[in-house]
Amino acid sequence: MNNEILRSIRSHLAASAPHDAREQVSRRLTQINADLISVDLRQSAADLFRLNLEAVNGHCVIAQGDTDIARALTQIIADLQKTNLRAQRIAISDNPIVERLMYLTDLEIEALAIAPNDIFSYDVGITTAQAAIAETGTLVLDSADERHRLVSLVPPVHIAIVDASRICETLGEALSLLRNGKELSRAVTFVTGPSRTADIELTLTVGVHGPQELYVIINR
Amino acid sequence: MKVSLFVTCLVDQLWTSIGMSSVEVLRRVGCEVEFDKRQTCCAQPAFNTGYREEARQVARRFISIFEESKAEAIVSPSGSCTAMVHHYPELFADDPAWLERAKAVAAKTHELSSFLIRVLKVENVGASWNGRLTWHDACHGLRDLNIKSEPRTLIRNVRGAEFVELEHADACCGFGGTFSVKYPEISVAILDQKIEAIERAGVQAVVSGDASCLMQIGGRLSRNGSKVRAMHLAELLASK
Amino acid sequence: MSSLTSETFRENAKAALADVHLRGALKNATSLFGERRKEAAASLPNWEALRTQARAIKDEVLLHLDRYLEEFVRNAESCGAKVHWARDSAEANSIICRLATERQARIVVKSKSMTTEETHLNKALEAAGMQVVETDLGEYIIQLAEETPSHIIAPAIHKTRGQVAELFTNELGMPPTDDIAQMTRTARLALRDRFAAADVGISGVNFGVAETGTIVIVENEGNIRLTTSLPRMHIAVMGIEKVIPYFADLDIFLKLLPRSGTGQRLTTYQSFITGVKKQQSDEGPEELHIVLLDNGRSRMLAHPVTRQSLACIRCGACLNACPVYQQIGGHAYGSVYQGPIGAVITPQLMGIEKTSQLPYASSLCGACREVCPVKIDIPRLLLHLRSEIAPRKGSVAERLAFKVWARTMMSPTLYKLSSVAGRMFQRVMPISRAWTNARDLRPIESKSFHDLWNE
Repeated sequence: MNNEILRSIRSHLAASAPHDAREQVSRRLTQINADLISVDLRQSAADLFRLNLEAVNGHCVIAQGDTDIARALTQIIADLQKTNLRAQRIAISDNPIVERLMYLTDLEIEALAIAPNDIFSYDVGITTAQAAIAETGTLVLDSADERHRLVSLVPPVHIAIVDASRICETLGEALSLLRNGKELSRAVTFVTGPSRTADIELTLTVGVHGPQELYVIINR
Repeated sequence: MKVSLFVTCLVDQLWTSIGMSSVEVLRRVGCEVEFDKRQTCCAQPAFNTGYREEARQVARRFISIFEESKAEAIVSPSGSCTAMVHHYPELFADDPAWLERAKAVAAKTHELSSFLIRVLKVENVGASWNGRLTWHDACHGLRDLNIKSEPRTLIRNVRGAEFVELEHADACCGFGGTFSVKYPEISVAILDQKIEAIERAGVQAVVSGDASCLMQIGGRLSRNGSKVRAMHLAELLASK
Repeated sequence: MSSLTSETFRENAKAALADVHLRGALKNATSLFGERRKEAAASLPNWEALRTQARAIKDEVLLHLDRYLEEFVRNAESCGAKVHWARDSAEANSIICRLATERQARIVVKSKSMTTEETHLNKALEAAGMQVVETDLGEYIIQLAEETPSHIIAPAIHKTRGQVAELFTNELGMPPTDDIAQMTRTARLALRDRFAAADVGISGVNFGVAETGTIVIVENEGNIRLTTSLPRMHIAVMGIEKVIPYFADLDIFLKLLPRSGTGQRLTTYQSFITGVKKQQSDEGPEELHIVLLDNGRSRMLAHPVTRQSLACIRCGACLNACPVYQQIGGHAYGSVYQGPIGAVITPQLMGIEKTSQLPYASSLCGACREVCPVKIDIPRLLLHLRSEIAPRKGSVAERLAFKVWARTMMSPTLYKLSSVAGRMFQRVMPISRAWTNARDLRPIESKSFHDLWNE
């Protein structure tokens, strides 16, 4: 079966050869600048990341150290609790940092669970991100390092914590990091803002199947 | 400079004033114009409809006639016909002898506005025309020959003419050759967008570089009882 | 609406032109996406270089497609994916139905995939006794309405909010509303438990990376992430032309695709899936099956002009730019692939017998070529297809007409006579009637330019 398709490919390519000789085929450039940003030295990667995330309805807080992060978390969740998003049942990833940070907060919540099976019943998911991309405001979630695939996706609110030092300037850099690091992970997800659609009358609606709110806390 | 006029079958049969105006303009800027009476068509209708053998027959004739000319350039008041001649090498890709001859003729063939600006380096042909007008970018001229700034430069130098840029000037008028009669409903639906933009521009005339577009646009304008005139660039430039 | 075929293209088009609401919706969608694409392209100083590079990469892959596919398969399988080769739609559907049946699947969730619409997969799965749920909001809407997509990016663009609300009220018991956010929430809730209950998730593939065996899928809603991480089996359907050589090449394509389609810098989510999880306790499906689909694609490799069809990354930019599509929308094409790319791919995939109108449904304006991120020369392809269709499927009258035309254009005497005949018969020629229905016709001049020159 596979032989038949490959055979078909080979025979049709062979038929094309005499025509190919007459066509101009452009060769790929070995070096191409695909960057979206000209390196703006006045702006740090963190600031650029925030700018781009906010442009797609994400929220970004810059914090310094655990206490500061915990304070940010408290603020975010307390604010959410006043809305219809509840924020009473919190799911967290299996990164110990997240658990530690949650215990530093002073929050009144109904439940806290690490990557629970009944993930659909949770209001907020908190994870870290393995890296981020400044030029697009994107989070890089690598499933090899953390159990956050569903925690970052199912609850209506996702809060992600990322180290400023892990923010790449460009998409190309992030791809390179993934490709050239240890073995390429089985499942990597790029997240740029909350979920969205414009399928009904082209009207932008934020919050479809993925989270409706995305908060990123950058740890400087 | 001596130029050989390729008047196109459409202008020859349906809009001779474009041909007369082209000659007038070329002479005014100092060209000697020759007209080879053996010419007929560039073969675009057959090529576009998929009849390549018939297209090749007529293209060979075009090449044979025009390669004999001692003129330095072949000039045509049509972007689409000029683009067709530039496609001749593709028609003869499998025929080395004709391929070379096709390339030679194609290299010498220019659309009028492109010839004036790029070859003669003339921007003002001494024309004058009073009124408000706009320009429609004919698709082949725009996308195959990159003609965009040239007509605008020439128009801006017409004394008395007030030029306004048309909304979506580069949108197709819906002609497309046989498309206009194979799918007339779609052709007219597309055309009506263009007509609406022209009416909104509040002009006395819409100018273009292709008689085919002008027939399409002009045909609808007159059916609508519109006062707006569809005018060829050559006719505008020949005005005094 | 789903029974429209390419054979009745002209009738389909006329019906579409009469649909005032559809035309309004199309105008909004195409001009919005078109404007956004233009801004997105203009904001990237090296846009042209990216296009050139993307096309060069595609040309490289397609010229050695067998080799790159073999590399892709090897790498995907080494990470635990199972790869299946499907020669045609029937085979693809049969493979997928077998996999789902072996899984004893009852509920299948699907994310938007043109390839699965090409094979009519949903019908096959339903015939095999499974419940298939489209999860992309636009696809979900038209599935409930039992219609087909009218636009590649926004499949339900032809429906008003009122129509969607009525649909949701009737099918999902939603309280009447005209609030779009409320409708979206309703769909989200309705689909939540489908995701949770699904046994199998089926997706398409935007790019398959040969170097690593990774499949990459992009989206805005999150339904692809849910479809490909919750059910225990994930089936990814991939046209054989979707392969790209290197992981690093994704930088180019991920920048071109969202900008060309909707003007976005990046879509909300990209999923990079390489094989299956390493440990049973990890999140994600236990099985990944990649179904490679040929269905006529390999035939297109036989000539450089047709081969470029396979460079398409399904962005939809050509649809939005096309003056024909802008007026008639997607249904009129009577096939899965619509607009300019549809007009060239459909005849090649399905053969020209029943699709011969499509390559003629174009004014050859070239707007599509201008916006295509991989620089497919669609007008050249259309002309190529016309040159194959005319001699074989042109009517006897037309073929004869062009033979006469050629003889006339070759002979100055006949040419002169033709204008005499033209002056006499212009108004009654069928061609004239098609013209004069809505446009005035210039009469043939009483003296041709030739005549005037001689004076």
